[in-house]
Amino acid sequence: MFQAKADVISKKEISPGVFSITLISPEISRNAKPGQFVHVLCGVQNDKFLLRRPFSIHRVVPGRAFEILFQVVGSGTKELSKVKIHDALDVIGPLGTSFTYSPDIKSALLLAGGLGVAPLLFLAEELTENHVMFYAMLGAQTKTKLLRYIDFKRLAKKTFAATEDGSFGHEGTVVALLNRTVHRLRPQVIYAVGPGKMLQKVAETADDFGIDCQVSIEAKMACGVGACLGCTCLTRQGFKLTCKDGPIFNARDIMWGESEVEQLSLDGYKYEAAEITDSD
Amino acid sequence: MSVNLSVTLAGIKMKNPVMPASGTFGNGREFSEFFDVGRLGAIVAKTVTLKPREGNMPPRVCETTSGMLNSIGLQNEGLGYFLKHDLPYMRKFKIPIIVNIAGNTLEEYAQICRDLRGVEGVSAIELNISCPNIKAGGIAFGASSKLAEQVTAASRYNTDLPLIVKLTPNVYNISKIARAVVSAGADAVSLINTLVGMSIDIKTFKPQLANYTGGLSGPAIKPVAVRMVWEVAQTVDVPIIGIGGIMTAEDAIEFFLAGATAIAVGTANFVNPKAMVEIIEGIERFLSERGFTDVRQLIGKVRV
Repeated sequence: MFQAKADVISKKEISPGVFSITLISPEISRNAKPGQFVHVLCGVQNDKFLLRRPFSIHRVVPGRAFEILFQVVGSGTKELSKVKIHDALDVIGPLGTSFTYSPDIKSALLLAGGLGVAPLLFLAEELTENHVMFYAMLGAQTKTKLLRYIDFKRLAKKTFAATEDGSFGHEGTVVALLNRTVHRLRPQVIYAVGPGKMLQKVAETADDFGIDCQVSIEAKMACGVGACLGCTCLTRQGFKLTCKDGPIFNARDIMWGESEVEQLSLDGYKYEAAEITDSD
Repeated sequence: MSVNLSVTLAGIKMKNPVMPASGTFGNGREFSEFFDVGRLGAIVAKTVTLKPREGNMPPRVCETTSGMLNSIGLQNEGLGYFLKHDLPYMRKFKIPIIVNIAGNTLEEYAQICRDLRGVEGVSAIELNISCPNIKAGGIAFGASSKLAEQVTAASRYNTDLPLIVKLTPNVYNISKIARAVVSAGADAVSLINTLVGMSIDIKTFKPQLANYTGGLSGPAIKPVAVRMVWEVAQTVDVPIIGIGGIMTAEDAIEFFLAGATAIAVGTANFVNPKAMVEIIEGIERFLSERGFTDVRQLIGKVRV
């Protein structure tokens, strides 16, 4: 892990309130793996809010820069949305575990709810590079909140979309879409990122079908490097640290009911829990 | 002109007066990736208990205005693991090691002190009698001058190492507690631990922490800490380790002026892993710019 002063080289509001920022850091981009995160200081010292904010690495320009994707949900992300090109942000990373796959894998399914696309686009790019065939399934409340659809469409064998209001793709939740199609797609592994309740349901489906499933867990964090023991997640092996033992966990290891993951939303790392309400 | 940053605290020789606050620095492993931990004046271990502790249910941390709440619950692997795996690692930094301990009972404090006898590399013991997040022990000892005195005496009886007692601010009269622990044989006091606080999520109507309440730390508590250090400095003759919301060298200097001989940095480590190194450099700069030659020239020099 590195602590860097990373220059902002691009900032875009890709959807109302959702921003993408690209930061220069050769060290972080060279070492980053899909699923890992960076811990970003969004304000100045002694600001009203103090702690860094964790963001999944959204994409990398190998050896040069990396991109994060976030929604303005609190004071930290609000401040971050105001950065200007050439501002330098204090960033620590890459942190945590990454998605894993065996080299002989034949097919995968990338499933995102809301801002869950953030780490999955990086994974999609890596799978493409390694000639792994995969499907993508994206869910959002409505068409304007469906993020990175075009990017996944470019990379995946087939990209499915579900919007709750039916304004784009299938009407309903992404979980309902998964349950309707998983027997046909027959993925060997599912990579799921999104609100806790969604992940829990995806994990149940994966379990029913005997499919391996990896999920990105979110938790409130203080240090982000494994020292404060604040971001614990309850697993079948006891408490694990989301920042160090995660954020990528095997879905079977998570004690879903207990860990209250749906509530653990630090702003910025929140995958729009309100957007993906499952009616099942 | 070079300035002297070294201090001696309860017989512990430190090359500078800066150390981590227990529990905010792990045992140095994570931070050694960011800076040379050997540059610190001392290293303070995360609280060790006799038996392993799982800690509290998550969520365990939440941010508040200019601070944060935590209710970790003294998660640790227990004394046996600490002695075998952590302490040998910490010795590599070649700086004084302060082992912070807590017990559910008086006997457990005494037992840990006995078990630390003659252990290589331990420079001092810090008694945590101020953790607000555990059911037994912790703050229960620190909030009563009688119990604080007893636990200090029991520990004192069982160790020849310098004994530091970490005090809780969640009391009406901290000077009284300080007097009690010093009379029972404390060689130094460290203050303050966190203030008990609570935060509620107005969307769900639920407390932000699974434990409902937690310890408040960060810049929000600094004025309280400075006042308490100043008050205790008037009361007892032993050296004080000042703790509470120190983010910068300027914050640290306030604590020296209030009467602290050394300072410990807590929450700032989470915000900036290099905070302590920057604070050491900042203290040095402040001294030389102001024409001081020795950090000890600042201790207790508040003009009141």
